[in-house]
Amino acid sequence: MRELNERRVRPELKQLVVEASRALAQLDADRLEELAQSCQALNRELERSDRDARGVFAAEAIEARGDMAVFARVLEVTRANLNVMTRLRDLRMEQLEYGGRHANRWGETESKHGDN
Amino acid sequence: MGTISSAFSIMSQALDADQEALNVVANNVANATTTGYTVETPTFEENSPVTIGGMSMGQGVTETGATSARNKVLEARLDQQQQLASSSGSRLTALNTLQALFTPDTGSSSSSAGDIGSDITNFFDSFTSLESLPTNNAARQSVLSTAGTLAGDISNAAASLNSQRTAIDQEAAGAPTQINALTSAIAQLNQQITTTSPNADAGTLEDQRQQDISQLSQLVGINQITSPNNGLAITTTSGQLLLSGNTSFQMTTGTVDGVTNFYLNNTNVTAGLTTGGGSLGGELTARDQDIPNALSSLDQLAYSISTTVNAQNNSGTDFDGNTGTAANPLNIFSQPDSVANSAINMSVVMTDPNQIAAAAAGAGTGDSANATAMAAMSGQTFVNGQTPINFYSNFVTTLGSTVSGVQTENTAQTASVTQLQTQNDTLSGVNLNDEASQMTTFERSYQAASQVFSTLNTIMASVLNLGEQSTVS
Repeated sequence: MRELNERRVRPELKQLVVEASRALAQLDADRLEELAQSCQALNRELERSDRDARGVFAAEAIEARGDMAVFARVLEVTRANLNVMTRLRDLRMEQLEYGGRHANRWGETESKHGDN
Repeated sequence: MGTISSAFSIMSQALDADQEALNVVANNVANATTTGYTVETPTFEENSPVTIGGMSMGQGVTETGATSARNKVLEARLDQQQQLASSSGSRLTALNTLQALFTPDTGSSSSSAGDIGSDITNFFDSFTSLESLPTNNAARQSVLSTAGTLAGDISNAAASLNSQRTAIDQEAAGAPTQINALTSAIAQLNQQITTTSPNADAGTLEDQRQQDISQLSQLVGINQITSPNNGLAITTTSGQLLLSGNTSFQMTTGTVDGVTNFYLNNTNVTAGLTTGGGSLGGELTARDQDIPNALSSLDQLAYSISTTVNAQNNSGTDFDGNTGTAANPLNIFSQPDSVANSAINMSVVMTDPNQIAAAAAGAGTGDSANATAMAAMSGQTFVNGQTPINFYSNFVTTLGSTVSGVQTENTAQTASVTQLQTQNDTLSGVNLNDEASQMTTFERSYQAASQVFSTLNTIMASVLNLGEQSTVS
């Protein structure tokens, strides 16, 4: 009965992991932040839990292992994609910088030669 | 503006442009090992000409930074991930079919391979029954019956694998038609782009070219190499040229050892295409690795069971008092000459149950020592150092693990494509503020996901390791 009550108030680990992978694929930051809070709450619950409850957690953890592997890979490709996007942003910023520098340099060259 | 000054200016700008190009190249080198980093191409922009004494003088070039490649970098990353997702997707489709073949029948589904694991157990168990009733005809019939089921299921599984391989081969053989059409189209677009828009974005033409490249990358693994004047060369991931500028190279096919091989410029590129990505890569991986591996395991199982069981039966005495000889062997299964093709050729050749040698050599027909020895074979490690049932179980487990691994890869790659597609759609034509907002969302998502992962990982480690407390504060 106690196990049933616990299951009623929180999602199973497997559902949580699958949901996290899906939210990450869609870059749903709000949902991921909610899930992060849920996970912290779950961790606190685990720290307070007795042996029986830990048994339930363990069963869920075994069931969710495959989905965790998927989540880990999605996280890995996301990091790679984020690196690419960060590089692109840097390039865009550099473009603005280059444009300004060339304009200034052109002015300096002209004035130093005194041809104006 | 004086002539010398103009000349210095042109030279100075050329040097500056070279320096910027060097910076970009240096950056490429520095990031060569960064996952997901795509090589940048320095971009030069022609300055407005200067008119001196009625003559138009060139003003050199200015490096505009690598940012003209902004979308191309993202698109290249998207293409790269799409070709990986296509490859794992087509391989996964084949693997799922393969796995279904070795999944025992259930109420709603049936496999042409039946349940080989149960067949092995039933076959050796039939000798246990014979052991206690060596003269009983029903017990002898049961041995031949279970042998027939085992041989039939292994042979059917091999036949199904061959059929699947043929079907995949035919599908793969059709890919060059699509690939050639796309490379020709891209080469024509290259021609138009370099002619009409050598120094600027070619707009619709570039969009068309990108769409064709995207389709091509879903079919086959490719590398893109930019060339001057907005030109482009495309190679397979193993480096064979598919097109360069306005010239495309047609992919052709030929048959080698009964399967389709692929050629570019008279070079066989099949092996490179297999590992290269795209749906063709996935199909070739299934055709040339996954299915042959499964067939090889079945062949080994069939060969070991057939030769070992036959040898044991030939070493005993049958119900008529005969012992097997080279001229008149008492073989239960067809005797294979080699491991190759043992599975598809596996069959029961014995028709008379009295030929089952339940008795030891020289013993009377009431003896059952040889039946005992054959029953005991189920626990002997004669299939590549494993018992028959363990060998089969490991084969099925390995197959399941391969399917699971490819499924994981495909899910991750599809997620990656979704992320990049969203970014590509969102970022085109937006201003810097919107772009910064998008990046913030991306970073928030990654950070929150990392936190989710880290916490879940700690929870799992905690509950799966003897109830140790989590280290997460």
